[in-house]
Amino acid sequence: MPRRKAGAIIPEMFRVMLEKPTTEAYPYKPIKLPERFRGKLDVDPETCTGCGVCAIVCPAQVITMVDVGTRKVGDKELPVKRPIFDLSTCIFCGECVDNCAFKALELTKEFQLACSDKADLMMRKALAK
Amino acid sequence: MSQVSMQQLQEYAADSNGKVSTPRKGEMFIEIDQAHIMGFISHVVNDLRIRLLSTITGLDLGQNFGIIYNFSHEDQKIQVKTTLPKNQPTTVSIVEIVPGAILYEMEIHDLFGITFTGNPWINLKLLLPDNWPADLPPPLLKSSKPAEIRKRLHLEVERKNE
Amino acid sequence: MSDESKRREESAGLMEYSVENLVPFGPIHPALKEPEYFKLILEGEKIVQVIPRIGYVHRGLEKAAEQRPWMQNMYMFERTCGICSFVHSLCYGQAVEELTVFQVPRRAKFIRLIVAELERIHSHLLWVGLMGHWAGFETLFMWVWNDRELVLDIVEAISGNRVHKSMNTLCGVRRDMPEGMEDRIVERMKYIVDRAHYYREIIDTEETMLARTEKVGNKISQETAQKLCAVGPMARFVGLRQDVRLNDPYAAYDEVPFDLVTRTEGDVRSLLRLRLDELIVSANMISYAVKHLPDGPFRVRIPNIIPAGEHSSHCEAPRGEIFYYVKSNGGKIPDRVKSRQPTMANIPAALELLKGQNLADLPMVLTAIDPCFGCMDRMSFFDTESHRQWAWSGEQLRQYGIKHYFPDRISAAPALKIGEAH
Repeated sequence: MPRRKAGAIIPEMFRVMLEKPTTEAYPYKPIKLPERFRGKLDVDPETCTGCGVCAIVCPAQVITMVDVGTRKVGDKELPVKRPIFDLSTCIFCGECVDNCAFKALELTKEFQLACSDKADLMMRKALAK
Repeated sequence: MSQVSMQQLQEYAADSNGKVSTPRKGEMFIEIDQAHIMGFISHVVNDLRIRLLSTITGLDLGQNFGIIYNFSHEDQKIQVKTTLPKNQPTTVSIVEIVPGAILYEMEIHDLFGITFTGNPWINLKLLLPDNWPADLPPPLLKSSKPAEIRKRLHLEVERKNE
Repeated sequence: MSDESKRREESAGLMEYSVENLVPFGPIHPALKEPEYFKLILEGEKIVQVIPRIGYVHRGLEKAAEQRPWMQNMYMFERTCGICSFVHSLCYGQAVEELTVFQVPRRAKFIRLIVAELERIHSHLLWVGLMGHWAGFETLFMWVWNDRELVLDIVEAISGNRVHKSMNTLCGVRRDMPEGMEDRIVERMKYIVDRAHYYREIIDTEETMLARTEKVGNKISQETAQKLCAVGPMARFVGLRQDVRLNDPYAAYDEVPFDLVTRTEGDVRSLLRLRLDELIVSANMISYAVKHLPDGPFRVRIPNIIPAGEHSSHCEAPRGEIFYYVKSNGGKIPDRVKSRQPTMANIPAALELLKGQNLADLPMVLTAIDPCFGCMDRMSFFDTESHRQWAWSGEQLRQYGIKHYFPDRISAAPALKIGEAH
C-alpha cells in the first residue's frame, strides 16, 4: 500500500485554517437551540385541573399530588388535588406533556438548572389556584 | 430456516420427550426435561449446525427454576426450556459444546444461585460484589427485596415513595 | 486480595501467581470513563492469560424492571447505555409489542430505521476517534469528533436531545419527522460519506495508524468465532455473514436496500475498515429512507395491560446483537425482563484476541472490540519472569504503548518501563 506523500497535509491545513472555528462561544454568546429542544418543565396553574394522570405516567416519580381543599359534588365532599414537581429528578422525557388532556404542561427551552440546594428546584406554582 | 431443518428439530424433540410450540411466526419453544437436555443441545449445535447461542435466561417460577437456552438461527429464534427443582439447583454445563456460554452461566450462578457442574469458572464471581453477605439469598429470586439488599450492602438512599 | 478470592481462582484452574505484594487500587479512578477490571498475567512482554471481572456499574436493571409498569421500563432501558440508547428501547419495545394484537404503522418503522442508523453512524465515528486517541494520533480524534457533531445536530433536530432520544413508544414513535428536514439530511449524509472516504484513505496510508493496527491481534478462525458466539463486527471481520438486519429483518430493513460488509483479514486494521464501510452503507440507507418515507400515522395508542405470554426480540446495535426476553403474566408490570448486551457476548472472543500479544498492543486490541463499558481502568500486572507486581492507570498504559512504537516522539508525561510503578 503506498504510503502518504510528504506535504499531503498542506491542503487540509489550509482548509481547516480558513473554516470558522468549531468551538461554541458559550457562555459569552447565546447558544442556538433547535426547535424541539427539551428543557425545564413548566405548568400553567389556570389550566391544570388536578386529574393526576401526569403523576401516574412519570417514569422518574417527579410529580406528587397533594390535597389543597375539597369541593361539593351533589351531597358529597370530594378532595381537590394539585401537583408539585421535584425537578431535580426530572429526565425531560415529556411523557407528562403528551398525556395531559388539558395541555397544561410544556417543556421550555431553559436548560441552566444548576443550583446549590435541591430544594430550589421544587416547583409549587400549580398550588396557587 | 429451511423446512428440512425445522422438521428434523421437531422430530428429535419428539424423540426426547419434548413439547414443541410455535405461538408466533419466527419463534419456537421446545420444552425438554433435565435427563435429555445435554443430548438435545448437542444435537442442535453439532448436527443441525445452529451455532449462535444468544444468551441463557434464568427464571423464577415459584416452585421451580426455569432455564431457557436462546438460540438464533437465520430467521428463527429457538428457545429450549427446562426446569429445575428449587431444593436442588444443580445442572450440567454446556461449556464443552458451546464454549461461548461460559459467562452466561456465571451470570445465572450469581443472580439465581444455580450451579452448573463442569464450568471451570463457576466459582468466580462475575457480577456480585466481593462483600456480598453469604447469608443473603441471590438477588433475582422473587423473595429478595431491593430495599433489603440495599440495607445489607449499606447503600441506603433517601427515597420519597417507599 | 482476600483468601477467599485466591481460593476461588485456584479452584478455577487459573495460572498460579504470587499476590503478596499486590496493592489493590480498584477500578475507580478520576481519569476513567467506565470501570472494568482485567487481570493480566504476563511473561516478559507477552500476555499469557487474561481474567475478566465486570459488574462495577451493575445497576440491577432486571430486578428494577419487575417493579415498574411497561412504559416506564422503556425509559429505564434506554438509559442502559448512552451510545446505543435508541436500540435498547427499540428492542424492548419490539419484544413487548408482539405480545399485543396491535400492529406498528409503516411510517413509524421507517422513522425507527432512520434514527437507528443515525445512531450507528455517530457510534462508529466515536469509535474511530477513540482508536486515534489510543494510538497517539490526536488530530484524527479531534477531526472525527468534529464530524460527529454534525450528525448529532440532526439527531437533536429530530428528537430534542443528543443522547437519550426518547423517540420510541409502544407501537410507534413519539414524534413525527419535522417539516423540511429531507434536503438537509440528504446533503449532510453526502458530506459524511465524503469524509468517511477520506478517513478510509488515512487509515490505509498513514504511518501511525499502520504501525499500530497492521497485523495486531491474534488471528482467530471462523470456527473459533462461531464457537465463542461472537456477534456483530467481531464475527464479520473474520468472514461470517452474521447480521440481524440481514438474517431476521425488523423495523423497515426488509424494504430499504442494504449491503452486508465483511472482511477476512482478522486483525485490528480490518476492524477499522469494516466499521468505516458500514458507516457509508448506513448513510446511504438514511438518504433512501428519507426520500421514500410513507404517509400515515406514526403511533397507535394501546392499553397499558399486556396479555400473558413470553417473547424475545433481537436487534443489531452498533456493537453487535442485542437480545431482550420479556415474560408477561397479563398485568401492568412485567414478570421477567432479560437483556443481553453485545459486549458481554464479545468478551470471550476478545480474550482470545489478546493471547500472545505485546503489552503495548493491549489498548488498541481492547478498544477494537468496541467495549460499551468504556475504556481501561486500573489494571494490575504480574511478570512471571521477574516476579514483580505493579499497577498502572489507563493513561500510563497508553503512554507506554505510544513510546514503544514511536520512541522519538516527545510526550508530556514520560512513559514508565515495565515493572515501574508510578
